[in-house]
Amino acid sequence: MLVLDRVTRSFGGVRAVRGVSFTVSTGGVYGLLGPNGAGKTTTMRMILGIYPPDSGTISWNGHPVDAALRRRFGYLPEERGLYGRMRVREQIVYFGRLHGLTHADANRRCDEWMDRLDIAQYARRACSELSKGNQQKVQMACASLHDPELLILDEPFSGLDPLNAEALLRAMQALRERGTTLVLSSHQMWQIERICTEFCVVAGGEVRARGTLPELRRAFPTRTVRVSPDTPEIRAVFRRAGAAEQSADDEALAYAVSADADFSALLREVVAAGPVTTFDRAEPSLSEIYVRAVGDQPNDGLVE
Amino acid sequence: MNEIVLVFGAEVVRKVRSRPFLLATAMGALAIGLFVEAPAFMTHTFSSQADAIVLAGPPALRAHAATLLRGDFDVTAGVDALPQPVTTQFLDDHGRAAAAVALSVGGGRLHLDVYPRDLAAFNDVTFRSLSPLDFQIATGLPFDRVKHLARIQRTLHPLDAKFADSKTAALAHGIALGLLFILYLSIIIASQSVMASVAEEKTSRIAELLVATISPVSLLTGKTLAAAMLALLQIVVWLSTALLLFPHAAASAALPGSPDALPADLPISAEVLSAFVVFFVIGFLEYATIYAAAASLISRTEDLGSVSTPVVLPAVAAFLVAQFAAIAPNAPFSIAMSFVPFVSPFVMFARVAVSSVPSWEVGTAMLVNAVAAVACFYVAGKIYRVGMLLYGKLPSVRQIAAALRS
Repeated sequence: MLVLDRVTRSFGGVRAVRGVSFTVSTGGVYGLLGPNGAGKTTTMRMILGIYPPDSGTISWNGHPVDAALRRRFGYLPEERGLYGRMRVREQIVYFGRLHGLTHADANRRCDEWMDRLDIAQYARRACSELSKGNQQKVQMACASLHDPELLILDEPFSGLDPLNAEALLRAMQALRERGTTLVLSSHQMWQIERICTEFCVVAGGEVRARGTLPELRRAFPTRTVRVSPDTPEIRAVFRRAGAAEQSADDEALAYAVSADADFSALLREVVAAGPVTTFDRAEPSLSEIYVRAVGDQPNDGLVE
Repeated sequence: MNEIVLVFGAEVVRKVRSRPFLLATAMGALAIGLFVEAPAFMTHTFSSQADAIVLAGPPALRAHAATLLRGDFDVTAGVDALPQPVTTQFLDDHGRAAAAVALSVGGGRLHLDVYPRDLAAFNDVTFRSLSPLDFQIATGLPFDRVKHLARIQRTLHPLDAKFADSKTAALAHGIALGLLFILYLSIIIASQSVMASVAEEKTSRIAELLVATISPVSLLTGKTLAAAMLALLQIVVWLSTALLLFPHAAASAALPGSPDALPADLPISAEVLSAFVVFFVIGFLEYATIYAAAASLISRTEDLGSVSTPVVLPAVAAFLVAQFAAIAPNAPFSIAMSFVPFVSPFVMFARVAVSSVPSWEVGTAMLVNAVAAVACFYVAGKIYRVGMLLYGKLPSVRQIAAALRS
């Protein structure tokens, strides 16, 4: 279990992370969400020991993260980097060995990962000769070869086409099935929603919201109701209920209705107001939760 | 320890495969080969022309002059009188001579009429060896007696056993300058190799992945040791080239019977070689770590020039000071500079190579430099650790200091 307890970090006069706390259960997939400059990368770097926190503690299974523990972690940084002249196989094996694998073991696992990520045909090619997507796959293999207990992925999907993003998702699923705990950040909400079991929204260096998706939804103050047709009578019903109109198009009206509202009573009133072809109560999406949590002050910090 | 070995191995493989390393090794060996063989080449190509002269004049005078000029000139022909005018065709026809010299006696003195191809090649001291003949004509003493009287009898007594004679000392001085140049070149090339490697990791953004896996100090150590080993390998290749070619060059360079004949083997003592290795390692550690720290501060390869200039200048200055020390090894300035970090590896080596330096001075210099190297590694390690994750414009000195304190 990864536990961050009131972790802070400043750079000069900039407070990049301000008392961030969250817990990631073993085997879970944790999504860190936040705008650029929110402090996600700094938080990840502190977990990996690249930066020591100014205050607060970070522990893995009850132990502070030290150099020995760090070798059992994996990291895919936001800014990708490979040795351009090094061959693909050599690069993957090198990083595996840096994480403590023997030469034979690293080679064997390298074959498995190259097959899994469909890059075996590039094994003897220099990394600089590969496309960006394939380079990203090589980096994923580098980060995962040693079957890390904790894998941290900073914006893993950025710059990937849908096929490569899907391949990366499959690799992450495979790691999860093998017991690896994943912490990842992404701006691609639909992808992060598919894989993550818990979320933490960070903005201005602070945690704005955290929990499982059902928990986050429960805490969300409104629900979206789509209704049609667009008639003055139906509009009047929603006005009386205190709902705010979100949008209107040819097909339907959308209202933000308080989560505590009696939706059955609302439906009865709408039906009583005239013929109704659509009445759809939607749970808030992760994107909506994110936008609301981040609010209008998304970026107080300057350091990502 | 294991991670240092891994970084070392990967670094060696990357560098050995790289074109610049292979090119520098080959070009260095070629340059040293040319440098060693140059005297022989010059002897065979040019000396037969540059030292060849035609003597004209009475036979007895010519014979005496030829005796005195032996060693300085190769007399290709002797004639009673020169044709007028003397042409280059005449010189070409007589062994492609550099000049024709007409000997005559006038007013009780020897007189020379010299017809050179190149006026600049003949000056007031060119025929100084003919002074005994002038003296003989003026005094009327027998030539054989005057010839011996003109030569000063001298015996050199070395104050220590460093060099057996003046010829060995002069040769050692030349070798010291050559080794000093190799030392300078190796330290600069190897340090810049570390710099390039750090810059590559920084600009390609692989640095973050590395420092998340292993400690920056291990990374820097493995990288520095790999560069040192490869530089030593280059030095071995270069010196082996010199040692292999020297016997041939020495045999070819000396003119038959010349008193300037060189020994068959390159006279490099174990003491000089040891000093070379020790001061290379110490000097390299001082410079390489500072170069690595400087490279860790850049975000773009284009910025490499702006950080490398301030760290290259001390090495250039140290090299210039060391050349002075090779000429005046016991001057107070040379002795003082022997204990200044960054300058000392070059200066002390130059002094050891050309003179007998007290062992306490050598020991003190090694100690001072070893402490400086450790200090450099410590400071550079801190800058490197912080710098590897700093991106954006080049940080100011104040920002670096703040980052180091944080």
